[in-house]
Amino acid sequence: MKLFLSGNEAIAFGLVEAGVRFIVGYPGTPSSEVIPTAMDIKKRFGIKGYFDWSVNEKVAFEEATAASYSHIGSAVVMKQVGLNVAMDPFMNTAMTGAPGGLVVVVADDPGPHSSQTEQDSRFLAFFAKIPVLEPSTPQEAYGFSKKALFLSRNFEIPVMIRSVTRVSHSREDIEVGRLDDLQVKPNFIRDVDRFAATPHFRLILHKELNEKIESIKKLKWFSDFEEYFEGGVLIVTSGVSFAYLYDIVKDNNLEDKLKLLRISMSYPLDLEKLKKAIDKTGSKRVLVIEEGYPVIEMQLKTKMPTVEGRLSGLVPNEGELTIDKIGEILAKAGVLNQKSHGFVLPPFKRPSLCPGCGHRSAFYAIKQVFKNKAIYASDIGCYTLGLNLGAVDTVHCMGASISFGFGFDKVYSLFGKNDQVVVATIGDSTFFHSGMPALVDAVHNNSKLILVILDNSTVAMTGNQTTPADKYNQIGEKTKSIEIERVIEALGVEFLKIRDAYDIDGMINDLKHAKDFVLDNKVPAVLIFRHPCVYSGEGLENNIRFKNIYINKDLCTGCRVCVNQFECPSLIFDEDRKKVFIDVATCIKCGQCVKSCPFDAIKVEQ
Amino acid sequence: MKLIILGVGGMGALSLSKIVAQMSMNRNISVRSSEIHGMAKKGGLVEVQMKIGEGKSGVVLQKTADFTLVLDEAYLDYGKAFLREDVFGFIVLKNKDKEWIVKDLGDIRFANALILGRFVKQQNLFTNDDAIEVLKNFKFFKKNRIAFERGLV
Repeated sequence: MKLFLSGNEAIAFGLVEAGVRFIVGYPGTPSSEVIPTAMDIKKRFGIKGYFDWSVNEKVAFEEATAASYSHIGSAVVMKQVGLNVAMDPFMNTAMTGAPGGLVVVVADDPGPHSSQTEQDSRFLAFFAKIPVLEPSTPQEAYGFSKKALFLSRNFEIPVMIRSVTRVSHSREDIEVGRLDDLQVKPNFIRDVDRFAATPHFRLILHKELNEKIESIKKLKWFSDFEEYFEGGVLIVTSGVSFAYLYDIVKDNNLEDKLKLLRISMSYPLDLEKLKKAIDKTGSKRVLVIEEGYPVIEMQLKTKMPTVEGRLSGLVPNEGELTIDKIGEILAKAGVLNQKSHGFVLPPFKRPSLCPGCGHRSAFYAIKQVFKNKAIYASDIGCYTLGLNLGAVDTVHCMGASISFGFGFDKVYSLFGKNDQVVVATIGDSTFFHSGMPALVDAVHNNSKLILVILDNSTVAMTGNQTTPADKYNQIGEKTKSIEIERVIEALGVEFLKIRDAYDIDGMINDLKHAKDFVLDNKVPAVLIFRHPCVYSGEGLENNIRFKNIYINKDLCTGCRVCVNQFECPSLIFDEDRKKVFIDVATCIKCGQCVKSCPFDAIKVEQ
Repeated sequence: MKLIILGVGGMGALSLSKIVAQMSMNRNISVRSSEIHGMAKKGGLVEVQMKIGEGKSGVVLQKTADFTLVLDEAYLDYGKAFLREDVFGFIVLKNKDKEWIVKDLGDIRFANALILGRFVKQQNLFTNDDAIEVLKNFKFFKKNRIAFERGLV
């Protein structure tokens, strides 16, 4: 069966085909398509398995570890910053091992395109002492996923598949194999010295881990290097950089100038074998070009101090190694005559909340009440774009809005004016992910924070995945809905209001009450502003839709208050006529912008 | 063949690339693509680069593409930068096309069938039937067909 699969979809096919029957994770670009694909495969091919989202990456990692302890082939999927969240179990599972096999799929985002950092997860594989495989194409992502489970099972060690945006989000025609329902049986064999190891036994486990890594280092295929072309300058490479270099050599006829030595497993590396392979090529000059941090280069440099790469200054130490960038590096190294053709950049278009997004109305209401006087701590998700409405001052990592809000409030209460208002905004899924513990702290330690939960009932930013509040999962299986309001009440919050985020006057009213409440009582207030995501099919279908919405040209003064303060991308300022018009291609006729016009020039027809 | 598709979130640039890929696979021609999304959904650029019958990566460099399909006029200059100097494969969805689609077909996402029509008309690798073969499996085949045929005019 030939399919046009993205790297992420290919990983799901590879894992399930190899026998992985437990896949969990948390959505995050560019990793989010692996689990939905596995769920689709399960439904389509009638495969028995547990494939679904977890509340966060740490929880997912632990769930998958237990499944692997039970001798079920398992995988856990996340983006690179998700691995930071899962670091604790990640380090520990490396020690205790993974009897049924555990594939750790991590998608890095060099650039970064949609992340806070461009960290290289291979370093964390190195740090935890687990093998890491680097596919260079979707086709390899498929094949390497199968190999990863094989390696993981045989050595009872977690194995990382390190993808990057350009592999995860590339597509290729791939011939996938048979997907059969396997007979698997859980078999957890009690071994407290391993699975409940005290520090004394941890030392023994560490020694075992070191021995596993030494054996894997010598393993055929995994430790082998592929060689391409016959040139005099040798480039040691891996992952997506290999695919780019291959295309550069072919397109520029550099077959007799460059030689590529491709590494598939960048940790552990058999450095003796690598040095021998390099020496055998007779190349006088060796470059290392790898996407991310100098993982291979740092290891190789211990044996060959003259290799050139990031550490020698040849390769830049930040940013994505695009095919253009690699071309520039080769030109700088004097091995490619690249004519500089002046790269044209796309016009910068500020990302913006979707037309009709309830978050925009909520931010508008927040800004109407607190203007520039509040400190606005926000979080990771679509609502980061509240930046455009001037209602976001900080964005850090998952859940940090509430803990940042707590920190700001405490220092201002103690050392500053006691009437400083702090407004934290967080999405529903992010609240479940890691906002809850921070709210426990805020309630317990009397923070007078105003927390606004922007509830669109989905993980919108990454492609509308389900949240713990959903009643069904993606493939229609029944789940128990966790109601946010009941969590808030259970945590002891004394002020809670729930409002449709399309009710701007109502939200303004609630926010004013919340302000009075926190200043009088010095305890947190929570507001849930709820409106389904209009980017989801269901949300858009059920959304209020006026017959028409238009600008009364006589009333529009061209003041741009709507464009600047409401900031809907469907409101466009016509520079020639000095009036606003509505972009019919993107407007969903929700009418939310009407309130933003001081001259009543935005009109709706029922 | 090297192909670039540019659009903004929700315009169907990704669907368009998948249609072209399915047309390739139906004809047993290798196909690769590379795409950037993420913030793209928020009104930003959706860029799909495709190689049909060539290459290891799906990446297409500027000044090397045979065709550029632009679904948003904001990206005219950027789209042109991808074209080889000796080709004329520049296909643009104009504002008046958008208005026609929204008015007559009711959803801007039919734009990709119109653009597909213009693309198929200009090149020799795929036939009209190759495109119809893929489009006919779509839920709104009738409207897609209307848009596609308008592209052939």
